[in-house]
Amino acid sequence: MIAANGILTSRGGKTSHAAVVARGMGKTCVVGAESLLIDEEARTARAGDGDFAEGDVIAIDGSTGEVFLGDVPVVPSPVARYLDEGLDAAFADADAETSELVTSVHRLLGHADDIRRLRVRTNADIGEDAARARNLGAEGVGLCRTEHMFLGDRRPLIERVILADSEDEREAAFEALRPLQRDDFVDLLEAMDGLPVTIRLLDPPLHEFLPDRTEIAVRVAVARERDEPADDDERLLAAVERLHEANPMLGLRGVRLGLVVPGLYALQVRAIAEAAVRRLRDGGEPQVEVMVPLVGSWMELRLVRDELEAVVAEVAAEHDVELRFPIGTMIELPRAALTAARIAETADFFSFGTNDLTQTTWGFSRDDVEAEFFAAYLDKGIFTVSPFETLDASGIGRLVEIATAEGRNARPALKLGVCGEHGGDPESVHFFHRVGLDYVSCSPFRVPVARLEAGRAVLEND
Amino acid sequence: MPRTSRTQYIYPFAAGNKDQKDLLGGKGANLAEMTNLGLPVPPGFTITTEACRSYLSGQRMPPQLGVQLTKAVRELEDDVGRDLGDPKDPLLVSVRSGAKFSMPGMMDTVLNIGLNDESVHGLAAISDDARFAWDSYRRLIQMFGDTVLDIDGRVFSRAFDAAKEAKGVESDLDLDADDLEKVVATYKDLVKEHAEQDFPQDPRTQLDLAVRAVFESWNTERARLYRRRERIPHDLGTAVNIVTMVFGNLGEGSGTGVAFTRDPATGRTGVYGDYLANAQGEDVVAGIRNTLSLEDFGELDPKSYRELRRSMRLLETHYRDLCDIEFTVERGKLWMLQTRVGKRTAAAAFRIAVQLVDEQLITIDEALQRVSGQQLAQLMFPHFDASAERQRLITGMAASPGAATG
Repeated sequence: MIAANGILTSRGGKTSHAAVVARGMGKTCVVGAESLLIDEEARTARAGDGDFAEGDVIAIDGSTGEVFLGDVPVVPSPVARYLDEGLDAAFADADAETSELVTSVHRLLGHADDIRRLRVRTNADIGEDAARARNLGAEGVGLCRTEHMFLGDRRPLIERVILADSEDEREAAFEALRPLQRDDFVDLLEAMDGLPVTIRLLDPPLHEFLPDRTEIAVRVAVARERDEPADDDERLLAAVERLHEANPMLGLRGVRLGLVVPGLYALQVRAIAEAAVRRLRDGGEPQVEVMVPLVGSWMELRLVRDELEAVVAEVAAEHDVELRFPIGTMIELPRAALTAARIAETADFFSFGTNDLTQTTWGFSRDDVEAEFFAAYLDKGIFTVSPFETLDASGIGRLVEIATAEGRNARPALKLGVCGEHGGDPESVHFFHRVGLDYVSCSPFRVPVARLEAGRAVLEND
Repeated sequence: MPRTSRTQYIYPFAAGNKDQKDLLGGKGANLAEMTNLGLPVPPGFTITTEACRSYLSGQRMPPQLGVQLTKAVRELEDDVGRDLGDPKDPLLVSVRSGAKFSMPGMMDTVLNIGLNDESVHGLAAISDDARFAWDSYRRLIQMFGDTVLDIDGRVFSRAFDAAKEAKGVESDLDLDADDLEKVVATYKDLVKEHAEQDFPQDPRTQLDLAVRAVFESWNTERARLYRRRERIPHDLGTAVNIVTMVFGNLGEGSGTGVAFTRDPATGRTGVYGDYLANAQGEDVVAGIRNTLSLEDFGELDPKSYRELRRSMRLLETHYRDLCDIEFTVERGKLWMLQTRVGKRTAAAAFRIAVQLVDEQLITIDEALQRVSGQQLAQLMFPHFDASAERQRLITGMAASPGAATG
């Protein structure tokens, strides 16, 4: 999807995963084109009265859902140019009408910025995305997912961590990863210098970093058949089988990982602390916030927090600098929301992970809902809109309200935000304003939308 | 007295206002507002959404509605000075749906209620145009048969085509009064054959059945689908507007048009619109003939044009927003048939909001409320050059805006 110019699917709806991800990435997407017949074998497709094959050019319009054969010239958006590069760049070769449009957007967005109470941050995992979002008006990073730093060519390194048989072996594997993570954090902190950057410690289950079970099982079986050595694959297979979970969404992930995989969170926080030191040395103003995912009990946060603070103090002493990071938690389990007062005693901030909170409160997984019964629920009127697109105010929203009120009551200075797709959804932004959160965080492309809606939310309350 | 008997189900246009969309629907509320602004609106009244909800909950007309309808019709007749079904000079009305939220083309409308075998002669004499009268009658039977009596519309269009074929002509306009009188006879036979009843000659029966049909059109499959897509609640019901007919097809001094106080596509300042001489509203929408610009209309009929411009300015000042307007000129007399705050593109929304701030018609806070994040998102994506030649294959669901090739 990253490589694609645009996305066209024959199945699915506006809330299917492909569509959601496409919106987050700012990619054009048309879904559910049911008359599109794809022949995966022949790598061809038939649509209406046109046939095309892999390599042929088609054009898709994500505002109308139309699909055209061949190349259709594209006109760039002057408004995007203004948001990215400023008024002067947008005026450069614009006619009078275009200039009027850009000026109108500038004035109304400016007014929204003047009156809004909600801050708008972005979800960004790398410096480049953070810089882009900052241009678009982001006032910090609300969510940096560190798992993205373990993918691609670094996957073998995290594999070594997972497969380690001894403390020493694991330590060595961590040591290899640390400088890479640190450099990622330096980039991110530099792009958002002077603004808060919330870094979430590792969240997904470890088996997500390992190859597919069937694939290794086949490799091992083939090797055995041929009497070839396959020690590495056999170890890998054993690990995959050991880590296999019936229901990974509710399995060993989030803070649970931090508590049962020794050294994992310490590694990450050490890398973060070292990155902060580097930024301070370079004259920067890093504002790190460390976020612990999937907390359900204050005890989990307490234990992790003690470990993290020790690591930060260690790094500070090593470099003879003063370091203090706010440490907070995601609120993405009903139990966390309902015991917010207790958790707030240990947390400097809450960030509502409303995507997981929706899944865990409704008790369904997003992929299953969207693939299996979303259409039926829409038909029967149980949903009027996907709860993953617009926050379910009366259910999930109620948990947000409880956690906000009880959290603030326990710790008046508690900072409150939301990260996830809902942070860029207009209706949800209005809800978060009403509840009294401090900020929303959304994908870079949604930042201007969230700014505008945060301003409109103020007027709605009048 | 039981409370239900006091429920007011009918509001004359002069008794309502634009803030009563819940009760009178969008069209009814705006017709009331225009009436009270002193604009030339054909006299009429609105049956409330409450009456519709009451009907739909029990599948029967609220008992008080019939009584109130009699009173409203008589008041209308006194106001206009003509009676429904009068064989000499009949009052004709349209029965139009109009929900709180616009649902274009989703629900039913019946025009020319009040015509029958006798009053058609009166209309022919008064208009001095027998062809017009018979054409109006055949349109009534066709619309009534289709929407009220549930006869497949193709039954009528086939018969109409057969009449043209028999005469060896291609255009509707080549059928004269005698031809159309024969078409009416054929249509009446078709009604009897397919609906197993005669086309009702009693105007009040026509009116009652048409009102009922509009109520029921709220729950058609396509209306339900539309509401689901647009997130419009299913329990609102529709209002029904009974409006005195005015005709844009009474010769070259008549016509009908659509106008916008600003360009809804780009947001450009200055009025914008289309006019079609000697035509009825449905002809403009269908795009049968080429339309004139508003400037050309101004040259054709300066008096009506001046009055239209004056009305448009009044409406925009009053609504403090872009208005779209449907109007008809009947033999040199301008009638305003509909207005509403106009739908617009994302670009037009931003431009118009700021223009109105600069014209000091609204505050910057109000301007901000008139644009949305959704619209801003649309403006951020590149788009296809609409003037480029292109071959459309299929249409899917728009999931993430923008234009991409590859």
